[in-house]
Amino acid sequence: MKHLDQEEESGVYQRAVLKNASPYHYMKVRLVLEDETSRLSAVELKQFILTGLKTLHGEVGAAINFDLLKYDEDTLTALLRVYSSGLVKLWSSLTLLGSYQNQDCAFRVHQVSPFLLALTGNSRDLQLD
Amino acid sequence: MVRVKSRYLLCEVNVSDRSHLLLLDDRSVGAAVKDAVARTHGDYGAALCSVRFCVKYLNAHTGIVFLRFPKRCYKLLWSALPFITSVEMRGQKIPCFLNCLHVGGTIRTCQKFLIRYNTQQLHRMLPKCKNEEEKQQVRRSILNCSQAWGNKEELEGEGESGEDEEE
Amino acid sequence: MSVDLSSTPRTLLVCERSSFQEEKNRVSTQVEQLRFNYKVSLLLPECNSLPSQLESVLDSFTSFYLIKQLPVYELLDKDFLETAVYQGNVYGLSYKTRIDEDNCVALLPNGRLCLSLDKDSFEVLGFEGKPSKFNHRTKSRFVISVDLTDRRMAPGGRGYQRLLTGLKSRLQLQTDFLLSHHPGGGASLQSLLSRCDWSEHRPQMSQRGLTELSCPAVHSCDPHSLLEWLGAVDADVTCENSSSSFLSTLACPEPKTTLSRALSVSVCGLLLPQDIQRLIDQLRCYLQQPRLESWVSLTVHGFADSPVSWGENEHGFLKGGENFYTLLMFHNHTYRLHLATGAHDACPP
Repeated sequence: MKHLDQEEESGVYQRAVLKNASPYHYMKVRLVLEDETSRLSAVELKQFILTGLKTLHGEVGAAINFDLLKYDEDTLTALLRVYSSGLVKLWSSLTLLGSYQNQDCAFRVHQVSPFLLALTGNSRDLQLD
Repeated sequence: MVRVKSRYLLCEVNVSDRSHLLLLDDRSVGAAVKDAVARTHGDYGAALCSVRFCVKYLNAHTGIVFLRFPKRCYKLLWSALPFITSVEMRGQKIPCFLNCLHVGGTIRTCQKFLIRYNTQQLHRMLPKCKNEEEKQQVRRSILNCSQAWGNKEELEGEGESGEDEEE
Repeated sequence: MSVDLSSTPRTLLVCERSSFQEEKNRVSTQVEQLRFNYKVSLLLPECNSLPSQLESVLDSFTSFYLIKQLPVYELLDKDFLETAVYQGNVYGLSYKTRIDEDNCVALLPNGRLCLSLDKDSFEVLGFEGKPSKFNHRTKSRFVISVDLTDRRMAPGGRGYQRLLTGLKSRLQLQTDFLLSHHPGGGASLQSLLSRCDWSEHRPQMSQRGLTELSCPAVHSCDPHSLLEWLGAVDADVTCENSSSSFLSTLACPEPKTTLSRALSVSVCGLLLPQDIQRLIDQLRCYLQQPRLESWVSLTVHGFADSPVSWGENEHGFLKGGENFYTLLMFHNHTYRLHLATGAHDACPP
């Protein structure tokens, strides 16, 4: 992309196609707990996901860097950011996380995308009626 | 015909006290490997390690082990080997580490390598010998190695199976 | 069997840079080619309240209609074809159907009817179609694409009869349907609406004022960081994190400046490319006025479950179904355009 930057002011037509170049993937997930009144703080949620990574993928898995970009405590909905190379490991460990403090739980993965922008415009959320 | 492909890792068990080597058995080495894999790669690694993993050969005198891994995941399992720091044998914990010498596609290529490697080691031992008797003994073993090897190679020609080597 | 855990399905990002004054710029075709737009969001830096010209354009977005339980053969009705399809641009898309599970229907403005059917429905319907590009091995999904303006598909023609009887007697496909018409609006659709249970909907607009926003150098920022930042602004994610934070290390790309305020506006619904084109023209006028920051960004999200994305290229979902573009316009008529698609999509134009 270097050569593009140099000519930023000129209006010459330039086109570049980037394939699989996204460094991160973003996930929108929701934690469903058996007891719907219990709440988790953001730190607890991240710690919980980390324990899941550690059980399924061991110490190597627990070393995966991921960010909790946004978390809503009322709906237990979170936005995660993870390096593309760690997406499969994170996703699989979310799937297999089945209990939180001795109560059944599950992660619902609402949307996964290499672009954070795509998570703000999910047409499946369109509610008319 | 398609065969199930494996990778054989030729490893050397390094211990501080060589007498401990005699205590080694394949089950304890296998358990140590499985343990390390489960720790570093979790349930996923443990599951990969439960299929077609085995300790094929163990030489308690030299501390040489052959580990067989499925080909599709040997890199992942291999990455756990440096994390082995001890092997538990008959209730005794022996500190050790595994040194991987060779990766091969068949036991045969690993054997070839091992013989070459042992000859090399004998050559290294030669100058360190203290008396003439020892020297003679070492020379004889070197000769044995190369003879056994030489005859074989003449018979089979240079048809060394390159396909079995690392891809 | 592959056990490579670090690979992900392919994604494409097309980055373009040009000027509106450059002859080769294709922004208007690119805008027009993304037919089914779900959401438009604008980011106006250093702006307090929505300027009246922009507001009037946003307010004048064409309204769309939701038809409950529309039998799909109604789309082949002779009156409807004559008053709506032949006369202009009809945008129709099945609503609340998922392209990876259900049967989806789309009516494109050029008069093409696209049906994306599972194997069972396809075989019951008995009409000619092609296996979907994205699972051609298993052949579990089929795409039927017919040109309703073609002579063969004119009412009474052989293909027309076959499809009509198929949809009427064999595969009685019913679906909720979103419909819009350009330029006629509701009047052109009356012949169809009168026979169905329908409701009219206006695109929903929402505004959000932002203050003290850190902002990267939009001229030179690398595309992925730029899209990440725009996404963070849109999703209301804070970029003020320290690099040692446990929760999140997301930060605004360097070099950065701080905007004292900004306005984020979004519109949701079935939006027509023509309306978006008008909005772009208005934004260019807006940029000509002297102001502190000389750029605006416009992001348009397509429907994730539409059977087509850009042009007539087949679209699938896989794990996100994203198809959107971001247009960053500058004061001097130059622009940066980023078109992104997920795994089950062709390359954007």
